[in-house]
This record gives sequence, structure tokens and C-alpha cells, in this order.
Amino acid sequence: MSYYDIDDILADATKFPCRFNYDIPGLGYLEGNIGKDIKKNAKVELPLWLARILAIVGGDPGLSSVDDDEAFPFVELMAPELLAPRVINAIKSGPATLDVHSINSHFYALAIKWATLFNDRDLVEVLNYMLLERSQEIRNHAASIDLEELAQGRDVSTFMLTLDEFEKRIYRDSHESCKDMKKWLVQR
Amino acid sequence: MSLPWKLQETFSPEEIQFIVENEPIKIFPRFTTKTPVRDNRRGTSTGQTRWKLLTAKDESLNNLVAIRTTEVALWIALLLKQQGKCSIVAPGWLRLSQLQKYIDYELKNTGRFSELPWNWLVVARLLFSKAADDLHDPVHLLREKVQDLREIRLGKIGQGLKHLNESHLQLDNLSLLEINELRPFVLGVMNKLKDVHSSISEEQEEE
Repeated sequence: MSYYDIDDILADATKFPCRFNYDIPGLGYLEGNIGKDIKKNAKVELPLWLARILAIVGGDPGLSSVDDDEAFPFVELMAPELLAPRVINAIKSGPATLDVHSINSHFYALAIKWATLFNDRDLVEVLNYMLLERSQEIRNHAASIDLEELAQGRDVSTFMLTLDEFEKRIYRDSHESCKDMKKWLVQR
Repeated sequence: MSLPWKLQETFSPEEIQFIVENEPIKIFPRFTTKTPVRDNRRGTSTGQTRWKLLTAKDESLNNLVAIRTTEVALWIALLLKQQGKCSIVAPGWLRLSQLQKYIDYELKNTGRFSELPWNWLVVARLLFSKAADDLHDPVHLLREKVQDLREIRLGKIGQGLKHLNESHLQLDNLSLLEINELRPFVLGVMNKLKDVHSSISEEQEEE
């Protein structure tokens, strides 16, 4: 994930639900009413590149109305839809049949960013399991086309449609590698 | 970039073949390049052209005697073979009996790969297509065995990939071509596993 990585930029544009901890004048355009103020406890969907920073930096503790000495950050990140308990349960029950692409096309990238922000060990374990299980399936698809299914006219690409962007790259690279290898083995 | 994306992190099979073609192999030359001693005394008045190579040893090439085995680089052997000027001596492992031994070993030890040379697949394919008449056993039988070996090993690789993790992988006796085929997949998945794990590593250090 580098600065110029297109997929990383696209992943960072995904919106996450956030709640504001302060009244902030002039920021109403985040909610859609330009020129107005943003109210405390307003729920706004912010792109991750913005939410990530606002969830870390905070206001002045002296100005905040709460009694705590600790400064609240500007916003509080709320659990997003793509990591909801039902998604996690779906992953645990069967990673290979899960339609990751419909959940989010940058699922892994976002999940890793989330795990980094919250040090979420359980999420990391689930991701590890999911990645391993799905990569087996990807390799099977990359190494050979299932001729039996093709012959019966069934759609072999349904699994392909469930891949997220990272998995597509893995699939493309390993498929090219296997294809080149086969081509070389049979030539001349 | 100046290098196409396919070649940025791996070799193409053609490049692997290029690497393997630098290995020495034994040949039976069918012509003589060694200058007789009496010619030597007179100097090179015969006007015979000599091999002058920068990347391979030309000593053995300038001392070829017909029907006496010598070792030369595989690419030279293939060039000479193409012109009918030598026959290639197949390596010891490229025989039916020996290949059968490897197959038996592979079938008996499901957790290990047999000790085939690192370039077996490339050498086998090159010799099958370019020097089929020099092999000890019929080519179609050898091909069959090599294909058997390849498929057994592919099956084992598939099993092994279920144990991918973020830190390491041991692949004893896997040949260069087989590693090269796996490389994009294994590296991609292992790098992602590493990303997943390193996202909580700071907490682990605190504990």
C-alpha cells in the first residue's frame, strides 16, 4: 500500500459512519447543508481518508464541555456495515462461498486498515482464515479451467464474480503464470 | 515501466530455460577439433577456426575428438545437435528405471519431494524435443513418467499451499520451474497475510 497505489486510493474513499463529538462552525457541508454549522452527535458518513485523521486528532480539552481531562477526537468512528457481526459470521461459516465483492470491492484493504486503527485481534484471525481458504479456491481456478462444468454449460465464473480487488490481482498473476508455463511446456 | 509487468517480479519460462541452458552436459562429438601434435609444431598454418567464447569454457570445444565424451554447455550441445555434429548423453536420472524410482519415492513419502535435480523439467523437455533419438528409452514412455512425476508433485504443492502462513515456507527439492510457476501466487498471498498480521503487531510488543 503505497502513496501512489490506485487501489489504496480507491479503498480510502469508502465512506464510514462517524459521530461528531463537537459543535463545529462552518463544517455543515459534510452533512450537505453548505454554510451551516455541524452539531455535536451529528451522524455523518465520511470517507476513510478523512475519518481516519479526524478520529485521531482532537479538540482542546479546556474547551470541551465534558469533565474528562482527556480530549475527545473530533469524530468517533462507528462500526461499518462491511464488518458487521453478520458479515463476520458469514465469513466464519464459509469463506469460499461468500460474495466478498458485493460486501465491498476493497474488503481486505479496508479490514486491514480497520484492524490497524482498533488493534482488533479477532478480526485479524477471521481475515487470516478467510484469506487462506479463499486463496485455495483462487489457485484451483487459476491453475485449470474445470472442463466438466464447462461441458455442462454451467457458469464457471460465478466464483470469479465474488472476488475482491486484491484477490483479482492474485488470480490474474497466478493464472498468467500457469498459462505461460503450459504454453512453454507444449511449444514446438 | 521499462520492464513489462509480467517480468517485474518473476522469470518467464523462457528465461528459466536460458538459465538452465548454461549448465554443462556430456556429449559424443562426431567431429574432431583437436589439432594433431605435428600441426602444433608447425604453428596454426592449417588456418582452422577456433572457438573463442567469453561466457563458457572453450577449452573442451577446441579439443573435441570424435566419439570421446566431453562436457560442454547445454546451449552449445543443442546447437551442435541441431547440425548433426554430436549426440547428447542423457543424464543418469533420465531413464525409465530411475524415473520409476523417483515416482515410487514420491508416492511413498507424501510429505516430501524426491531429490530430482533443480532443472529436471527443463532438461527433460529440451532433450525430448531436440535430442529424442539420443535417449536410452523410448521417448513416449519417458514423457509419460515425467508427466506422472509432474502431476504427483503438483498435487503435493496443492496440499502444501493449505499451510501458507505469514512467516515462512519450506520447499526442499522443488525445481526452479515449479517454484517459478508458484511465485506470483505464494508471494501475493503471503504478503497479504503479513499485512494482516502486522496490523496488530504493535500491541503484541507491548504485552
